[in-house]
Amino acid sequence: MTLIKWQPSFSLGIPSVDHEHRELIGAINTVYDSMVSNVNPEIIESCLEDIYADVSSHFALEERHMRDAGYEEYEAHKEQHEDLLDQIRSMMDLFEEDPESGRIILQQELSDWFSIHFATFDARLHHKLGDHH
Amino acid sequence: MFFELLRRFLDRGFGSELNPLNHLGALTIYFFWIVTISGIWLFLFFKTSVSGAYESVEYLTHEQWYLGGVMRSLHRYASDAAIITLALHMIREFVYDRYRGNRWFSWVTGIPLLWMVFPLGITGYWLVWDQLAWYVALTSAELLDWFPVFSDSMARNFLSLDALSNRFFTLMAFVHLIGLPLFLVFGIWLHVLRINGPRINPPRVLMAGSLAAMTVLSFSWPALSQGEVDMAQVPQSLGLDWYYLLVYPLMKTWSPAWVWGLLFGVSLLLFAAPWLPPQRSKSAAAVDLDNCNGCSRCADDCPFGAITMMERSDGKAYEKEAVVDPSLCMSCAMCVGSCPTATPFRRHSALSPGIDMPDLSAATLRETILKVSRKLTGNCRILVFGCEGHDKTAKLKSGLNDNETATVDIICVAQLPPSFIDFVLSRDLAEGVVLAGCAGGECLYRFGEQWTGLRIERQRDPRLRKRVDADRIALAWQEPWSGLSDTTTVVAALRNSLPAGDIAEQGADEKISLPPARENAWKLPLTIAAYTLFMVIVGWLSVWPRYQLIEQNQAMVSLSFSHAGHHIRECRKLTQEELNKLPPNMRKADDCPRERLPVRIAFSSDGNTLYEASRPPTGLWNDGESNVYHRMVIPAGKQKLFIGMIDSRREEGFDYSLEQEVDFLPGQHVVVEFDSIQQSFIFKVE
Repeated sequence: MTLIKWQPSFSLGIPSVDHEHRELIGAINTVYDSMVSNVNPEIIESCLEDIYADVSSHFALEERHMRDAGYEEYEAHKEQHEDLLDQIRSMMDLFEEDPESGRIILQQELSDWFSIHFATFDARLHHKLGDHH
Repeated sequence: MFFELLRRFLDRGFGSELNPLNHLGALTIYFFWIVTISGIWLFLFFKTSVSGAYESVEYLTHEQWYLGGVMRSLHRYASDAAIITLALHMIREFVYDRYRGNRWFSWVTGIPLLWMVFPLGITGYWLVWDQLAWYVALTSAELLDWFPVFSDSMARNFLSLDALSNRFFTLMAFVHLIGLPLFLVFGIWLHVLRINGPRINPPRVLMAGSLAAMTVLSFSWPALSQGEVDMAQVPQSLGLDWYYLLVYPLMKTWSPAWVWGLLFGVSLLLFAAPWLPPQRSKSAAAVDLDNCNGCSRCADDCPFGAITMMERSDGKAYEKEAVVDPSLCMSCAMCVGSCPTATPFRRHSALSPGIDMPDLSAATLRETILKVSRKLTGNCRILVFGCEGHDKTAKLKSGLNDNETATVDIICVAQLPPSFIDFVLSRDLAEGVVLAGCAGGECLYRFGEQWTGLRIERQRDPRLRKRVDADRIALAWQEPWSGLSDTTTVVAALRNSLPAGDIAEQGADEKISLPPARENAWKLPLTIAAYTLFMVIVGWLSVWPRYQLIEQNQAMVSLSFSHAGHHIRECRKLTQEELNKLPPNMRKADDCPRERLPVRIAFSSDGNTLYEASRPPTGLWNDGESNVYHRMVIPAGKQKLFIGMIDSRREEGFDYSLEQEVDFLPGQHVVVEFDSIQQSFIFKVE
């Protein structure tokens, strides 16, 4: 079962960023699948930790490209990134303390994190960086 | 430790951020700009001729005192100040051991700058063409004459006004105005080439302050010329600019060879300094391409420009990758602190950041944190991260460790990624974290305090997560050699402020505040005192103590002439037979040797020999004239002078001589010349 599906509209036209988006979607889907299939919470936790590291560096790269392109909404987008990283960290801590409620909340929030991120900010960045189809 | 005392004094007045000692290089460049701008004004009014030079400077100083005079004074005082900051800059980098290893380039490229700055100042004093200028010209020429480059003696130009041409001033002006400054600007560019984000401009407050101080000095104690050149009368004493002319008085007793030996020796020593005592070599940062996506944060943070973002080389879907130049890397580890993948939250996958230090990896750091925190007990546990700078951690360890406090060594505080702090606090490894590093400009790697501070304040990437309670973090910026007290205070203060045993999350949006700075009522007086001291030192050494050129009852004699010795043998008529052997176009009737005999000189006063020498012929084939140049100080009063010269193989007596009684007035300068047309000596008494 797949939580998020890659859509052409996600593409920013920057190969590295698109590549990481695809990988992240893959990682999120894996976490989601493992949650649904009730695997050991520790595995989910370590997946979350890896996602945290990957998302951190992904945002660093994306911010780089935004700055290079002179993206005018950089600050707002950057804030969104910081908030999202805070949310992931909170989720990691929650899982550490109480894996069961963590599982429930994560299931609800997981797809929101990224779909909102894609739908709002990245879409605007997409326009900024120009047509590339 | 004079330097440390000075630093503390200035710290009190200016604060660490604005401490002039942290901006010495930039201040020197700033003074150079002041010198350039005031110099342009002076040039507008300067006349490059023997008679015009002194007059035009006098005009500027007295008629146009409100502008030209001030410009002249600023020109002098800023160049003097530049020597002070330059010297301190060198001492500081040396004392802080910031000249070795990969920093050799900046150190070594600094030395030629010295060799440009000093001649720049010296030619400047020359152009004024007052009595000091005459002394400077004469002594400089005597120094330069030591090099067997000029066939004629240059010093002789400065013994009589007839010998000096306007052309010489044009040449000097060219060297002073265009030649040396041009090289200097290029040299400065080279000097800071390898430094990432070099500080070229000092803080505005310091610019304004020092300019104001020098302006006050210029109005209250303007730079003045020291009397028109009178070659017949030697000034007894001169106000010497000790900043530029420090070695000149040595010429009174030392030979030029010794003076040059000193200058070259010191320069060589400076050149060799980075390699003299072998330095412990640390391994450079290493990039792990599997974890690098080319975000270039490390390249942004590297204080030494050692990281460049290059075309991706491993075929992955990324555009760039970080590449470390090991010959530039100072192993400060700030790049690790900037790498987004350096998060300690990794239970299963290995903690290997995109860039890491082989000597102290992020994974090792996490292990150490886990290990030392396990030993801590109580509900106010504090983990102190101390940098290696100035051997502080060694002190930290012995002084701070107890069952509630543990120290972790890191290379530089900026090595610690903010996520590690998140890790320590959220995983309940400690209740508080202290980062102990070197204050501001004391950082061995330049940006340690800056980057750390900004990351914790969430103003620079990677930012500390907002969810981390900033009240649990304290920064302790230490001055080198200041001992433990500061860090101990910070640790104690943090411990007091921590709600005991309460690990609950709190509203964590507050800005990190350092322990309240000591209220410093002395700040203003000390700042003023520092500027006053600066003014006094700049002004004082630029003319005082006066240099005693000759004693009250002394006079001076210079021997200055050139004369060709006889050829080593007589010309000889070639025989017909010999001529026939030569090619037709080379059949010259006489065979004359080109080589000449040395010229022997004896000079005495009242029968006491003052100078005796055999001067070799000049020229590559020893076929030129012999130069005689010698300057000596003699007692004033009536005395019988004798000069004799031999230009042949004669064993006894002299070919030319002159004996005459001369009554020397104190300070009088007599030049002994040889009239080549009359073939006789003259005691030139003007």
